[in-house]
Amino acid sequence: MVAMALAEAPRLGLNADVLAQLRTIVGSDWVLTRPDELRTYECDGLTGWRAVPLAVVLPSTTSEVAAVVRVCHRQGIPFVARGSGTGLSGGALPLTDGIVIGLSRMRSVLRVDLENERVVVQPGVTNLEVTRVVEASGYFYAPDPSSQRVCSIGGNVAENSGGAHCLKYGFTTNHVLAATFVTTDGEVAQLGSSALDSPGYDLLGVVIGSEGTLGIVTEVTVRIVPQPERVQTLLAAFPSTDAAGRAVAAIIAAGIVPAAMEMMDRATIEAVEIAMHAGYPDCGAALLVELDGPAPECESLFTRVDALCRDAGASEVRVAQDEAERARLWKGRRGAFSAMGRVSPDYYVQDGVVPRSRLAEVLAKIRGLEERHSLRVANVFHAGDGNLHPLILYDRRAPDGPARAKALAEDILGLCLDAGGSLTGEHGVGRDKVCQMPRLFSAADQEVMHRVRAAFDPSGLANPGKLLPTPRLCGEHPGIYRPHPLERSGAAERL
Amino acid sequence: MEMAGEVPTRPGAPGDAVSGLIPDLVVTPGSAQEVSAVLRASSQRGWSVVVRGGGTKLTWGAPPRHCEIVLETGRLDQLVEHEPGDLICVAGAGMTLGRLQSLVAGAAGYRQRLMLDPPQGDGATLGGLVATRAAGPLRARYGTMRDQLLGAQFVLADGTIARTGGKVVKNVAGYDIDKLLVGSLGTLAVLVEVAVRLHPVADSSRTVLLEPLSPSEAGSFCAALRRAPAVPSLVEVLWPERAVLVRIESSPEGAERQAERVVALHPRARVLDEPEARLWEQRVEGRPWGGSGPVVGISVPLSAISALLELAEREAASGALLELSVRGTIGVGEARLVADPQAVSRTREGVEKLGGQMELHRSGAEVGRLGSASQDPVARRLMKAVKTALDPGDILAPGRWDWEA
Ligand SMILES: Cc1cc2nc3c(=O)[nH]c(=O)nc-3n(C[C@H](O)[C@H](O)[C@H](O)COP(=O)(O)OP(=O)(O)OC[C@H]3O[C@@H](n4cnc5c(N)ncnc54)[C@H](O)[C@@H]3O)c2cc1C
Repeated sequence: MVAMALAEAPRLGLNADVLAQLRTIVGSDWVLTRPDELRTYECDGLTGWRAVPLAVVLPSTTSEVAAVVRVCHRQGIPFVARGSGTGLSGGALPLTDGIVIGLSRMRSVLRVDLENERVVVQPGVTNLEVTRVVEASGYFYAPDPSSQRVCSIGGNVAENSGGAHCLKYGFTTNHVLAATFVTTDGEVAQLGSSALDSPGYDLLGVVIGSEGTLGIVTEVTVRIVPQPERVQTLLAAFPSTDAAGRAVAAIIAAGIVPAAMEMMDRATIEAVEIAMHAGYPDCGAALLVELDGPAPECESLFTRVDALCRDAGASEVRVAQDEAERARLWKGRRGAFSAMGRVSPDYYVQDGVVPRSRLAEVLAKIRGLEERHSLRVANVFHAGDGNLHPLILYDRRAPDGPARAKALAEDILGLCLDAGGSLTGEHGVGRDKVCQMPRLFSAADQEVMHRVRAAFDPSGLANPGKLLPTPRLCGEHPGIYRPHPLERSGAAERL
Repeated sequence: MEMAGEVPTRPGAPGDAVSGLIPDLVVTPGSAQEVSAVLRASSQRGWSVVVRGGGTKLTWGAPPRHCEIVLETGRLDQLVEHEPGDLICVAGAGMTLGRLQSLVAGAAGYRQRLMLDPPQGDGATLGGLVATRAAGPLRARYGTMRDQLLGAQFVLADGTIARTGGKVVKNVAGYDIDKLLVGSLGTLAVLVEVAVRLHPVADSSRTVLLEPLSPSEAGSFCAALRRAPAVPSLVEVLWPERAVLVRIESSPEGAERQAERVVALHPRARVLDEPEARLWEQRVEGRPWGGSGPVVGISVPLSAISALLELAEREAASGALLELSVRGTIGVGEARLVADPQAVSRTREGVEKLGGQMELHRSGAEVGRLGSASQDPVARRLMKAVKTALDPGDILAPGRWDWEA
């Protein structure tokens, strides 16, 4: 998150021979090396971290990806896979001594098999595109990150992305059945199958969520689901996040599984009113609840949700009467992140998870931290599964602005972990939280992950420095200049 | 042979045999530390260890090549946490599913359970259910242990005690090692504690029966059901009964009206009264695990269900297939065959021709190894690398995977 001081040693550059090999594989138009071209790729959605790679290579087929990876493997060049670059944890942050393999040219929908409810896509296809190709036939692709118009299926697989409707439908890992996978030595494997079970270890299960550190996914088979017959949406206004948190707990405890249950606090509501006039009620917290399913079931449960919200202290419950009203109720929620730009020069999205029964308590403690750090925090999040998204509002030009925001973000994580939660619910560890991993996982836990990593990637070239902490990454300070291993081997030289 | 520390140990007896191998020792550790001590000692001496939970699915996978130690998880059976408001539960890997269900059912003011109904489920342990990924009819709606597992504590062959995941329903921190453990058949680690998600139990249910059916009628009924505005929790196609059983669980009104919609899909479909519904459900429960003979797990694309049933008809006519039950809306099920290696390999070929996969669940010495010729060679290499990374001495159930042969 925080602007990183990159050691300003002379930049490395790939040598002519390696560049020629890459150009032969993908065509010279698709190997980018000009500084202005490279700068487009210097960060992902977490813009505080930036690094300019040696080159960006844009393959268009699985075999091109495999051939590029083989060059990397032979030459010892680290590589970072990149989808749409919307990641919020610096997962696609380039390495100054490595290349970026961008999958954005691989954006074909390869097969739509409605009868078997499967769609096969290349990794650069956007999340929303999958739903677009099947919606007229009555199906949809369930995982729906807010970034779904832009983010790629490859990125979703790498991050195990979630979205508002994952409360009921599950995450990416529950919807991806098979993948074509380029190993870190450039071989091609088929993982999983379009049938539900395949023999042997669930390698695909561990590749999903591995943030590009085990290999590159070049084709993905996803499951699509029939559209629900009925969708019903309400927005309930509460005096406080405490009261809204009680409503969440009551709904879950009543055995109701909404399709989505999203909360916004006062700071968020104010920001979305300024930015987009969503017409939300003036209140301490708003809860957006959506139910879907067969009409008879949906309707009877909806009445109960309405009653549970009022019991928990809702002063007003707005029910969407048609699709247009539903879109209005969602508008503020969907635009909440971007609305923050109107009320604060900078913001950082935290992504902690807490047990649902402790939401109200943790939110109250976050308010305490706001005061202690003298920074504002706006909360907008997936309440139904306890996934908080505190938006820490700060000014990067203020003295210590970024450092104070970072300190507050880490304290919030501490609250989540103390409550028995997790470091990240959907944005991933990436570069951003890699040094926080020991707060959740013991040395032995991490050792198991390192062993699995080494089984897939013995030479450690796939997105090193992300997800798994190393002493160099989190402990040591930069020292004197030493020749880079790529320089020593001759694959790269200082420019 | 001597085992380190205080871990209760007794000599193996014929009743402890795993696929005919009588272990030298049966050990019963009561904590992660004790499991660790057992595994460290076994690793040092090169003893093979087979984990036994409830002993209900020890025949799953290929028979192990060696078995010096049977490690019983029965003492790892404590309830660590049940938080009904969060719909989660954490318990020792040796706790049986039956006990877990009755513990969670006891929470005042809530009605919830772990939505798994595997064969011989009551006596099966949580750890065993992770290791086998065993599931039953409810899979049609709720999936398998893969979908319910939130985290676990486990011990590697070298004694390393580690955790993966957590106890919250949403979590992407670190690798999803849980997924590797699910279905690993005790070959990667010994599970000590598992955290699972629970689901609410609906207030009401209705059961619809449709029989008798031709394979193609059954296939089209399943397809129609998939698109109908009803969300069944169970859709079982039963062969040779030639029947499809559908259960709806919802609010009283929701169940009633969804059942009507299912009935409307076919002129012969009818809602069963309570006693009749119970009778059919009991029939479904044991299948196809009663009796003897190999049981295979089958997974086919939805469009291949009628072709699978035709294959079943042919095998039944030749006396090779005893029972088949398929979850009609997801194309996954099991079949019991006569103990004839040829019937098994013929069925596998047929299933693979349909674009499906077959796994051996109950082998019996007669059948031995199934072999998975269809498996991707690069994937297999990665699987071996994972196994070697976590169990370099190959002491945990060596030979369980037929691709190792
Ligand atoms: C406004 C906004 C809203 C968001 N909302 C959500 C949300 O609701 N839920 C959510 O989960 N996330 C959300 N995100 C985060 C982000 O969109 C997701 O993580 C998304 O999956 C990233 O996809 P991408 O294509 O942009 O991947 P990138 O950012 O390009 O890459 C992400 C990671 O995936 C790896 N990777 C990419 N492609 C491949 C591949 N083919 N093979 C192997 N590894 C690969 C990269 O190396 C990197 O580690 C949001 C982001 C923004 C900016």
